[in-house]
Amino acid sequence: MQLNFNQLWRYQDEFLHGIQMTLTLTLIATVFGLAIGLAGASLSRSRFAPVRIAIATYVELIRNTPALIQIFLIFFVLPYAGLRFPPFYAAAVALSIYMGAYAVEIFRSGLASIPKSQIEAGQCLGLSKFQVFRHVILPPALRNIYPSLTSQIILVLLGSSLASQVSAEELFHTAAFVESRTFRSFEVYAVVCAIYFVMVLSLRLLFSGFERIAFRWPTRR
Amino acid sequence: MALVEINNVRKTFGELEVLKGVTIEVEKGEIVTIIGRSGSGKSTLLRCINGLEQIDSGEIRIGEQVVHAKSTDLRKLRQHVGIVFQQFNLFPHMSVERNITLAPILAGRVQKGAAARELALKVLTQVGLAEKIDAYPEQLSGGQQQRVAIARCLAMSPDLMLFDEVTSALDPELVGEVLKVMEDLARQGMTMILVTHEMGFARNVASKIVFMHAGKVHEQGPPAELFANPATPELQNFISSTR
Repeated sequence: MQLNFNQLWRYQDEFLHGIQMTLTLTLIATVFGLAIGLAGASLSRSRFAPVRIAIATYVELIRNTPALIQIFLIFFVLPYAGLRFPPFYAAAVALSIYMGAYAVEIFRSGLASIPKSQIEAGQCLGLSKFQVFRHVILPPALRNIYPSLTSQIILVLLGSSLASQVSAEELFHTAAFVESRTFRSFEVYAVVCAIYFVMVLSLRLLFSGFERIAFRWPTRR
Repeated sequence: MALVEINNVRKTFGELEVLKGVTIEVEKGEIVTIIGRSGSGKSTLLRCINGLEQIDSGEIRIGEQVVHAKSTDLRKLRQHVGIVFQQFNLFPHMSVERNITLAPILAGRVQKGAAARELALKVLTQVGLAEKIDAYPEQLSGGQQQRVAIARCLAMSPDLMLFDEVTSALDPELVGEVLKVMEDLARQGMTMILVTHEMGFARNVASKIVFMHAGKVHEQGPPAELFANPATPELQNFISSTR
């Protein structure tokens, strides 16, 4: 087999655009997913059963169905609701909903990991419910779930390649495009694979750097 | 008027009646020590006093406030009633200074920054731990953590302090340092209600002993009297079993 990467150089701009779009998709899905996750996890402690059931239904529906089908459904169903999104935004919505469901579960386990005695200690100092949540529960909970949360963000980055199937112009979409122009299938996918690898690796380094800065307090021996 | 009035308080957990009509009065400056066997309802009573537990009937009044009244703002109440727990319950993600100053800052009692640090230093000095102001709870021994927990209460300048078996989780050699801090507080006139198994402390420091048995106040009185002449066989048994 004769490998030839030279032809791919001409598509630098397309690849850069793809990388940019993939990172943007991941960022959007992360921001909204985390917001959904935090809100959902807090609501899942609600006294009202309908609220808890609604959250549980959402979480189970998303976690037990393929992300690809979720993207398709959002892309093809939203227009019926009068929402006509370009593919990229439909994919962003779908991935946010996808990330949100996992984030709910992760945040829930984080909140549950804080002993009741800590909450009581906060209450007994005259802190309000919100102050207890913000100062007593959230920081150690975030530390506990940080590894699973960051893994999930990386899974969303990798999973964002599915958005190509509704022709959102992210990195994998670029790959398919360049392949169809050059017919250098192996070279194209090898390069794209390497790009994903570098992106994820850099992200992991970034996350662990942040972890060291944000969670400095010593833990139980 | 007594600072704390506990009047015929009843409390059940499911089928189990833990408090069966408890009545205790605590005057300002009194050190009231609640003793009794495990399961006699001592800790539950203490948790009712600052509203951590609901009560089924009766009334608890602290100053002007009826603890379990609908109109009572428990947050405001708790800013004047400190509690120290068996397991310290310091916040592991905060430095000693932050543990102490969090509540006073959030309650608007002290400004963040130099003033807050000064307050932390003041109360840490009271418990003999000024040099640990920047440490984290995990870097402290159990006795030191408990003293920080006491300092954290003091920072809110409470009118009343509750102590829930605060030495029970400590290694024996660390009990003394915590008791000494509590003795100092007693000498300074702090009103204290404590649940303890430290009979020596009860005997020497308390102004009143309350012996609880089967969810009721079985006997109460000044320690000298109570320990010398227990009126009931239950208290006689209890005293001899702790010797």
